[in-house]
Amino acid sequence: MIRNYRREVAVAYLLILPFVLTYGILFLWPTIQMVYLSFTDAPLIGPGSWIGLENYYEMFDDRRFWTAVRNTAYFVALTVIPNTLIGLAIAMMVSRLKGWQQSLILAMFFLPYILPVSVVYRLWNWMFNIQFGILQYPISAIAGENINVFRTQWLFTPAVALVTIWWTCGFNILLFLAGLRSISPDIYEAASLDNANRWTIFRRITWPLIWPVTALVLTIQLILQLKIFDQVYLFVQGGRPDPSMVMVQYIYSLAFQKNQGGYGATVAVALFVIVIVFSVLQFQLLRARGEK
Amino acid sequence: MQKFIKIALLSTVAALSIGAAQAQENVVWWDFLSGGDGVRMKALIEQFNTEHEGEITIQPTTLEWGTPFYTKVQTSAAIGEGPDVMTYHLSRVPLGVESGALAEISTEDLAGVGLSADTFAAANWEAGQSDGKQYAVPFDIHSIILYYNKDKLAEAGLLGEDGKPTGLDGAENFMAALEKLKAVSDTPLSLQTSGDGTPWRVFYSLLGQQDGVFLGEDGTFFPDETIPKAVKAVETMASWVEGGYAPALTEYENSVALFTSGESALHMNGVWEVPTMTDLAAKGELGFEWGAIAIPTFFDHPATWADSHGFAIPNNVGKEMTPEKKAAVLEVISWFNENSLAWADAGHIPAYSPTRESEEFKTKEPNATYSILADTAVFDPKSPLAGVASPVYDAVANYISPAMNGEMTAQEAIDEMKADLQDQAD
Repeated sequence: MIRNYRREVAVAYLLILPFVLTYGILFLWPTIQMVYLSFTDAPLIGPGSWIGLENYYEMFDDRRFWTAVRNTAYFVALTVIPNTLIGLAIAMMVSRLKGWQQSLILAMFFLPYILPVSVVYRLWNWMFNIQFGILQYPISAIAGENINVFRTQWLFTPAVALVTIWWTCGFNILLFLAGLRSISPDIYEAASLDNANRWTIFRRITWPLIWPVTALVLTIQLILQLKIFDQVYLFVQGGRPDPSMVMVQYIYSLAFQKNQGGYGATVAVALFVIVIVFSVLQFQLLRARGEK
Repeated sequence: MQKFIKIALLSTVAALSIGAAQAQENVVWWDFLSGGDGVRMKALIEQFNTEHEGEITIQPTTLEWGTPFYTKVQTSAAIGEGPDVMTYHLSRVPLGVESGALAEISTEDLAGVGLSADTFAAANWEAGQSDGKQYAVPFDIHSIILYYNKDKLAEAGLLGEDGKPTGLDGAENFMAALEKLKAVSDTPLSLQTSGDGTPWRVFYSLLGQQDGVFLGEDGTFFPDETIPKAVKAVETMASWVEGGYAPALTEYENSVALFTSGESALHMNGVWEVPTMTDLAAKGELGFEWGAIAIPTFFDHPATWADSHGFAIPNNVGKEMTPEKKAAVLEVISWFNENSLAWADAGHIPAYSPTRESEEFKTKEPNATYSILADTAVFDPKSPLAGVASPVYDAVANYISPAMNGEMTAQEAIDEMKADLQDQAD
């Protein structure tokens, strides 16, 4: 059969065209615009004049920017690895169950993930309410008095991190479960014939074989948590916005509240670069480790 | 037959041209009033539509209060998709002018519908201006007031013969009064002590009573001579919490509940909670006699923070307003001011002087008791950084609230707030 190469290429281009167009219009073009905007003093709406690197100089001198960077890093540290480890642990426990029991338990863990963030916020804000929240019973048993958790500065980020893990770990459990199921039972059987104990089985078989999934979960988590916004924005209402500020929140307040579109774009570019550098770096490192 | 068609055609043309001459104007309206005052505003809109049947119809939409509203106004005006008229906080006029979202309303336009500077209190009218040009027409003045529980005050011997509280003026007297009230209530004074709203309004009132300058002419926040006054204001507020008279770290809703449940004898909050009290009392669910007076004079002279709801016209880019539409919008603005007595039911003080000076308003309680506020009002500093849901509000949440709750000293709070705002202004 004679293949018409040119025709095939044309069809291929035609087929990817819708994606390329959507990608170009909805992602690439706005990204270019954002970078351009970061070199201007534009307000929220409309053009500004070109001011070169001034926004970037300002950013490096900006206390608030560094607070946002620090808080974001702190939040990432509190969520990414714990969320992954908890996901793995629960997945391993769930994988021991069979049939409807497994489905039921899995559904219970997955349920919070489908809730919108505003519902999650309401739920936890209510449970932590200083006057009548159910969690005030254990809190007062430990601390001796009721504590307004989301108004206490040092408790704020850990509390939001806790809520976030509760909310999102269901998805990680699913990914890990899929990974665990792909490990052949034969290997475990061989290991038990060799009298390997549980810890050895986990360390020598499960952990290495599930590593690719772990690397994926860690990377997805890293990207997601670097972009944290909604939970912090909701929980900080009526509290202290500045000391708890994260990067996306800072971009939001610059652009929408302070009418500084250009400077907001500058911080957005910084976040963009951080996300790319760290996620690529992390994924490469993790992959390298997995291949050794 | 031909004749018949001719007549038919002619009469159609005639009918069409008459229709055009009496064309009904639809005025697209945005507001952010969703509480008790929203209900009262809707009733006013309905009344307007009935009175202007066949001429002007208002098509109202209520949007989310605060930052979302002001963002939407800016973005929609920039692409010509804004409403024809909208409610607007006068404290946010500097932002609207800076971002080009507001259209100027000329003196001639206003004169055409009988509105001018003389029909409003001077400070109120000027709050709608930027560089001497009018961008918003005031509709009301709203402020904070002191709600009181008559039964508790009488019990503590703080009620005068006229049924009004006595002995509350002066920071020290006020503390002494709180001490007396402590005998009849665990939390004598309730106010929001977490976040930005009430803390800002009380702070700005206390600063105004000492003639403190929040933002100097040269763009300096808290000029040197103001700092001790600002510190004194914050210390006074903190002393209420520290002494155990006001609840610590309390959200807005909880502060209202403390008063309506009869727990607190005094409550500091905006006039917009008047409908809450009126409605509860009418249903017989309040359980005590209530009243409201202007905030006591803690320092040198009376002064109270105030803001205004006003009307503004968005500067819809690329969509020129027709003269007919503009006439309709101006008619809306003047009609609402002329009929603003009904708006007083929402607790607000009408901005329109003929209404404010009318007999009906003078006898309307509790508004009449605190209507002196129109003369002693101190409006938010004129800056794009100030006003409702602005960076100044954020700064209050970041520094003044923590200082009220004893998490930092008043001096630290003011120093930090000054540095923070100056940093954002430069």
